[in-house]
Amino acid sequence: MIVENVIAAFAEIGNVKTLLLMLVGVAGGLIAGAIPGFTIAMAIVLTLPFTFGMPPSQGLATMVSVLVGGLSGGLMAGILTGIPGTPSSVATTFDGFPMARKGRPGLALGIGVWSSFCGGIISAILLVTLAPQLARIGLEFNPWDYFMLVIFALTITASLAGRNLVKGLIAGAVGLLVRTVGEDEAVGMARFDFGNDALLQGFDFIAVLIGLFAFSQLLRDIHDPVSAQKSLSEKGSINVRIEHLAAIRELAQRWTIVLRSALIGVFTGIIPGAGGSIANILAYDQAKKASKHPEKFGTGIPDGIIAPESSNNAVEGGSLIVLMALGIPGDVTAAVMLGALLIHDVVPSPTFIAEEPVLAYSIFIAFFVATFMMLGLQSFMLRVFVLVTKMRMYVLASIILGFCGIGVFAINNVEFDLWTLLWFGILGFVMRHFGFPLAPMILGVVLGNIAELNLARAFAITTDLSPFVTRSWSLFFLILAMFSAAFPWFQSNRGKKKWTLFFPTFMAFSLALPVFMMGGTVRPILALLLVALGAYLLWSHARNGWRLEEVSEPRAEIDEA
Amino acid sequence: MQPLNRDAVIAIVLLMVCGVLFWETFSIRTPDYGQMKPSIWPRTILAVLSVLSVIYLVQSLRHGEAPKDEYDDYDTGAPRRPGIAGWIVHWRNPLWCFALFFVYLVTLPYLGSLIGGVGFVFTLMCVLGGWAPKRLILHAAVALGTVGGMWSIFTYGLGVILPPGEIFSAY
Repeated sequence: MIVENVIAAFAEIGNVKTLLLMLVGVAGGLIAGAIPGFTIAMAIVLTLPFTFGMPPSQGLATMVSVLVGGLSGGLMAGILTGIPGTPSSVATTFDGFPMARKGRPGLALGIGVWSSFCGGIISAILLVTLAPQLARIGLEFNPWDYFMLVIFALTITASLAGRNLVKGLIAGAVGLLVRTVGEDEAVGMARFDFGNDALLQGFDFIAVLIGLFAFSQLLRDIHDPVSAQKSLSEKGSINVRIEHLAAIRELAQRWTIVLRSALIGVFTGIIPGAGGSIANILAYDQAKKASKHPEKFGTGIPDGIIAPESSNNAVEGGSLIVLMALGIPGDVTAAVMLGALLIHDVVPSPTFIAEEPVLAYSIFIAFFVATFMMLGLQSFMLRVFVLVTKMRMYVLASIILGFCGIGVFAINNVEFDLWTLLWFGILGFVMRHFGFPLAPMILGVVLGNIAELNLARAFAITTDLSPFVTRSWSLFFLILAMFSAAFPWFQSNRGKKKWTLFFPTFMAFSLALPVFMMGGTVRPILALLLVALGAYLLWSHARNGWRLEEVSEPRAEIDEA
Repeated sequence: MQPLNRDAVIAIVLLMVCGVLFWETFSIRTPDYGQMKPSIWPRTILAVLSVLSVIYLVQSLRHGEAPKDEYDDYDTGAPRRPGIAGWIVHWRNPLWCFALFFVYLVTLPYLGSLIGGVGFVFTLMCVLGGWAPKRLILHAAVALGTVGGMWSIFTYGLGVILPPGEIFSAY
């Protein structure tokens, strides 16, 4: 079945026009990812209006190409200038830039490119095989479960998105509130329109996303008059040739790092709220811990480039698994991808892959093909990148703001959307200034109507609230939401307070209950394994005399991209 | 008496917004059909937001203003002049962006998206990058090339009718 769908998807996107558009998409993504301050989400959002007139498979293949290009573009700036193009390539600079400064920029780039390729391919394979399986699990979800899944996604994003959980939760709630403006989707009654016809339509969420994210990000980049006048090429050397063969040899000798890091990336992508910015640091840290020479990390060794680059490209595969199978975006980039899918009348859900297999697999295969294109285009785009880096930041920002103005209007041909862009640009700017993370707000805007619709469906079935705690999946997500809300306290007190020793154990025991309630054969066994894990953790702490261990891991925290 | 810190002021503003919107939920009509009233979801969010704002207020009153690194990620650490003039100088680039975009939107029905867009990008580049004659030519060329190119792709390539404006539509 999978093979048939894969062949049909190849036939769907395997035409010259689509492949050319994908090439342009990957190229655009590579450049967008390479420019610090120009995020992948921004690139996807700006590409969106161009895809309106295309058939869904073609438009979505183009968008996926921008995504894949963007994921790999960050390494160019990170390695050659020491400034990561995207937050997901922060760890790449730790060893990439030193290696480039030691006179091997071509090798550093080659390792980065091939690691990105391997990470992307591993995650594409997992996407094709795991998404349909997860969708099958998703078929078990009822409105209560979906509602709780959204709450969990919001809670974990809020807990990871900033240093202050309360600010993160406030941002998430504001995002949900923004989505309630206009006619409600369940019964069509006007809300918060204050007698204004334009408000009755509600805020277009793409305009909100561009305003919150692109507008405020651009203003951040040009806020300082001195840095606004600078161009990227003023830092580091960017005239190099990529050493492909030497890079492949290095990767072949370190295939375990590639595989482990890619799996870390996919797993991080599956968790709502996490993303490339966590995955690359996590993979780097794991590679350092597993290395026989951890002291060499940071001096320009291949392991330090392979780990972050394999993981950050694998993240979006994981994120797409959840998005395509359950319709829940894990991070800001996936939220924008969801917007792109909805504009093309594609509504991801557990039944989507079964009902529209060719379209679903076209998206998967586009991810796969775009990864190959990225590999071929990197050398060429390096020259374009050199040209782009000569542009001053204020020129880039002005052009992008101009593009935002045209692109947002093109979404619905409504002038009100441009005002939405401005107001939410101001709001995003002010929120960032006061330390409110934007990621939970963006997810709140995207998930708001999904949460409300499922709540309305749940109430249509029964007004009894008990299914939220008696249904196994709902309880599972509720427990996860509670533990993710408590996660910042756990993180800040780890290694300092005794109670943190019980946190993972308590979580394992708590999750075992709903998993056991799910029934069948496998899940009760999984529940027993969770209990065993909790007991083992307890035993190991007792054996160590309840000693608090020093914590050296990097803090898990996502950036705003 | 200590003046309220910035976080406390934000929390109070949030609570006031919650109050206004909560009041507004009473004007949401309830239809005869459907189990869940259209006002329930916004009220639930507003209740949660109010509780969070109270926690935020208490936090800010108990612990004082958040440490500098917790917010103000626009702050470059450069010395600032006191008073409103100093504030305007510090925020001049973002203020110019907002003001020019506002002017672009207000004039859009007259200038249209091509002339307005080129004008917006050109003016913004000049304001941020300087008005030197050499730069003026460069800014004009970049604005015309990029916005004109984008406008052409949408108008002729994708068939999207962008606002023509009164000036442009007259021709």
